[in-house]
Amino acid sequence: MPNTAPKKAQSGVQAKKKEGNDADAEQYTRTRGLMKPKDQVELNAEQLREIFVLSLNSNNTQIPDSIVVWSYADLTFIPGPMAGNMVEVFTQKGSLLRKDSEEARQQMIEMGLDPAELDLESVEEEEEAALEDELMMEGEGEEAGEEGEIEEEGQGEGKKKEGEKEEDEEGEGEEAPTKPQKPKPGGRPKKLTNLFNFCERAALTYSNPSRPQETQTIPPPMATFSALVTPSLIYDIYMKDYERHEEEKERERREKMGMPPKHIIKKTPQQINDEFQAKLFKAARVLERMINQNTYFDIAKDYRYWDDPADDFKAEEGTVLPLWKFEYNKTKKHTVCDLEWNPYYYDLFAVCFGFLDYSKPVAGGALCLFTLKNPSFPDYVCMTDSAVMCVDTHKNYPYMVAIGLFDGSVRVYNVNYSCKEPVYKSNSVENKHRGIVWEVKWAEDTPDGELNFYSVGSDGKVNNWILMSSALTVITIIELLLDQPPVHGPDGTTLKLKASICCFKFHPVKPQIYMIGTEEGYIYKCSVAYSSAYLLKYEAHQMPVCQIDFNKFNTDIFISCSMDWRIKIWEDNRMEPLFVFDIGERIGDVKWAPYSSTVFACVTTEGKIHVYDLNVNKYKPICVQAIVSKKKNKTTKLAFNYNLPILVIGDDKGCSSIVKLSPNLRIPCRAPKKQQDLDQNTLQLMKLDKLLAVLREPTTLSLPPDTAEHDDD
Amino acid sequence: MAQEVEETMKRIQSHKGIVGTIIVNAEGVPIKTTLDNTTTVQYAGLISSLADKARSVVRDLDPSNDLTFLRIRSKKHEILVAPDKEFILIVVQNPVD
Repeated sequence: MPNTAPKKAQSGVQAKKKEGNDADAEQYTRTRGLMKPKDQVELNAEQLREIFVLSLNSNNTQIPDSIVVWSYADLTFIPGPMAGNMVEVFTQKGSLLRKDSEEARQQMIEMGLDPAELDLESVEEEEEAALEDELMMEGEGEEAGEEGEIEEEGQGEGKKKEGEKEEDEEGEGEEAPTKPQKPKPGGRPKKLTNLFNFCERAALTYSNPSRPQETQTIPPPMATFSALVTPSLIYDIYMKDYERHEEEKERERREKMGMPPKHIIKKTPQQINDEFQAKLFKAARVLERMINQNTYFDIAKDYRYWDDPADDFKAEEGTVLPLWKFEYNKTKKHTVCDLEWNPYYYDLFAVCFGFLDYSKPVAGGALCLFTLKNPSFPDYVCMTDSAVMCVDTHKNYPYMVAIGLFDGSVRVYNVNYSCKEPVYKSNSVENKHRGIVWEVKWAEDTPDGELNFYSVGSDGKVNNWILMSSALTVITIIELLLDQPPVHGPDGTTLKLKASICCFKFHPVKPQIYMIGTEEGYIYKCSVAYSSAYLLKYEAHQMPVCQIDFNKFNTDIFISCSMDWRIKIWEDNRMEPLFVFDIGERIGDVKWAPYSSTVFACVTTEGKIHVYDLNVNKYKPICVQAIVSKKKNKTTKLAFNYNLPILVIGDDKGCSSIVKLSPNLRIPCRAPKKQQDLDQNTLQLMKLDKLLAVLREPTTLSLPPDTAEHDDD
Repeated sequence: MAQEVEETMKRIQSHKGIVGTIIVNAEGVPIKTTLDNTTTVQYAGLISSLADKARSVVRDLDPSNDLTFLRIRSKKHEILVAPDKEFILIVVQNPVD
């Protein structure tokens, strides 16, 4: 820099020389003459000699002395920092250190020198130096600096070498980790890391060769599945799905209503087994019927389809065709005391097993329900400890069967539920008849909806039994007393004799009217409404009345049979019978046919059936046929089937025979030519009326004596 | 109920012309028989497949219908079959005396 300024000055002078050589002389002359400013003050010599003292001080007048700064904290101006007096003209940072400074010590340690030693050396050196150079105070500092520089250079070389070595080492690979170099005393100094001089170094590792490797797992088990899709399968699955949907809907509905979800009751193994057994039982029963059908194939065919062709040539006679015989092993000694077709299942009939010959009592009794489909075994068997005398099946509930027993009690069985135990049983001490129960009959339900039935016993009582929810209650409707003066008993007591009821029948149309037949041979017409008196008394027979039956078409006509071998046909409110038939044998039972108004049948103890058709012959039966062996068996009861031309006949050996009526015994009414539109019912009524018209005497005439009664007398 | 089944089966067996009765369970295994072993196994196997086939015939004609009983009349016997989901009841009868 000091050189440049004179150069400039020279060049300036040269430039001036070039500008004009001719003006040089003029300038020269001008500089010689002094030029004064116009306003220069003229000073005299004295004034000129006067000395003005100018003094220098350290006060810098250029520095601003009242700098203020706005303080946001105090919201005022506060005096700012004073500007310093220092003026920086030139700055350079050096790499020289003082030897005794902390930094130098650090460096020495890193270089592997002992700073203490060095200190000692330096102290010695200093001492030497102090001794040597007491004169040259200034030079020492410079020397020390030079020494430092030399040292530095040496270090630098060392650094360079080390750096190269390190580079080589790095080049060899990173696998060899650089061991932390311990500072060796007097060894090579460690390289100082330069924080600002980075260089990035990349290295490529070996690329591993790829090698394919394959493994195989154990194959999952396989199975061949084949199925045939059939419409039934699809249907089943759809039905299942539908059921599931329904269940879900139901559950949702219950949830909406706030009801607890339905409990699915899980079946116990016992229940499952029971269900299985029930199914098996049902199947076995049907198979049993099939086997019977095979065995009795001919009879089954006859039962349905055979009509005796011989009837066409026998004008006024018919026959009955014996079909099956129903027996039950345990009741072979019993007498069939009552027979009844089930009102719902036309092929099912109930048989009561008891005894009628009081000299030979049989222990126990039974109610058996047989079906035509299984002649070998009864479908339902209800064993009782006393003889069963009568039975009736409820017409709305064909499984409710009421029976009357020899010991005077009544029982109600629900054969669907159990045949072993009756659902209702009359009390064996109080609520019972004091005599044989001869007939039971279901009545219309009470206004409260309770089932009830009537029973008659030989104690002269008509009882109404009501099936309450818990027990069987009884109301005595009437206690029939004989119209005789009281009998004198022992000790002056008197006793009204009771009528011993043998049979009774409700009027088919008027449910409160009923007919009672007694052992005395009377037939009483009574009403449920009157409990103290009867309405009418027919002096019907001389012997106990066995059966009363209302005509199925004209309900004013009824028939009665008695042990006096006679059958009489009566009209309501007429004290004399319309017909009297003397069979000549003891009659067990008589019944009107359900298909004709003029046909009735009776069975006798000789084992014969007599069938009358009044329209054909008023005097003789149109069919007399032995059903069972005359010597061994006595027929006791019969019952017409309401659906088919068959009837069941019971005998005293516990056997029930089914017989089929030949066409001549069931001739349907032919409508007259002029009245073709009349139905069978009306025709039957007309037929009977026509017949009776002949018999009904005009009321004005006196009645001729009854020849039949006359004969008896 | 089991007792009633037993009684009925006994009755069937004692019925005249009955050759034998077999009850086959749902798996096709005879659980009760009155016939000898070989015949039983043969009957059980053949009848159960026939009953299945017969059922499928009935069901495929009308899916809401179902087979209830099956009777096979042969020259010598009549085989009466009551097929159910849980069992098959087989009775062999010789109807001609």
